[in-house]
Amino acid sequence: MKRVTRNIDPGCARDLLERVPRACIAFASDHGPQGQPIALVWHDGRYLAGIPEDADHRPGSGHEVVLLIDEGVHFFDLRAIYIRGQVKPAEAPGGAPVGRTWFEVVPLKTVAWDYGTLREVRDES
Amino acid sequence: MKADDPAVLDVMRRSMVARIATLSRNGRPSINPLYFVYLNGHIWLGTVDWTLAARNVKADPRVSVLFEVEQDPSDQRVLRIRGRASVRTDQKAQHSYNLRTARKYLLTPGGIRNALTHIRQLPPMHNYHAQSAEKGQPCVIEVTPEQAEFLNYDQRG
Repeated sequence: MKRVTRNIDPGCARDLLERVPRACIAFASDHGPQGQPIALVWHDGRYLAGIPEDADHRPGSGHEVVLLIDEGVHFFDLRAIYIRGQVKPAEAPGGAPVGRTWFEVVPLKTVAWDYGTLREVRDES
Repeated sequence: MKADDPAVLDVMRRSMVARIATLSRNGRPSINPLYFVYLNGHIWLGTVDWTLAARNVKADPRVSVLFEVEQDPSDQRVLRIRGRASVRTDQKAQHSYNLRTARKYLLTPGGIRNALTHIRQLPPMHNYHAQSAEKGQPCVIEVTPEQAEFLNYDQRG
């Protein structure tokens, strides 16, 4: 039995972490879900997220977040890395933009997709 | 800022991919990039009812949606809309959404060029959509905006 998948090895989308076309996180707050654009620095395998100091909400240490880095507008250009993890406070990376509070996202689960690589794979579910 | 402010409508008109943040029944966050159209004061995002985004909206209607003008690098605003959402599976909504997304994403020079460039990928794409439809029902996440705000360039990555 075969199925079509968009999923790719996250290592194949590594360029998204180097270029960071668009990055945002989601987390829970008392006011519901928060979507927040971030500055992302990927350094030594660590995901460092900078949130503006004046942001009205931010995740607390140990809270669960989802980090999304994506690009593309047209169907076959759509690519993304989706990381579910926990945040912990971090120092600002060298040369980082000022005016931000920095967190490290410690990944628990990472998936990536690329609609330009849609293909059949053996269904092992 | 009101969600029907001309500046808000301008960004939504020119934006191509919305990122919708949702919470699960247990309060776990998620954020997903989806195609969308703006219609009669509502944001319609297309997906399938088994996806995390749709299941989360059924569990907790509160959403936060990010927009930017991807095709104009000189416009570096990010628009954030907060509101409440519901999942619509009725044929009227689906038909209306399909017509509008075809106009917005497919029947454009960029959309046609993208399809032609990936012409060998069209059969897998068809199979991918058919496979998704077997797992559940196509649906529209209908967002009713309640609050809008612009996040300036300094707040972007």
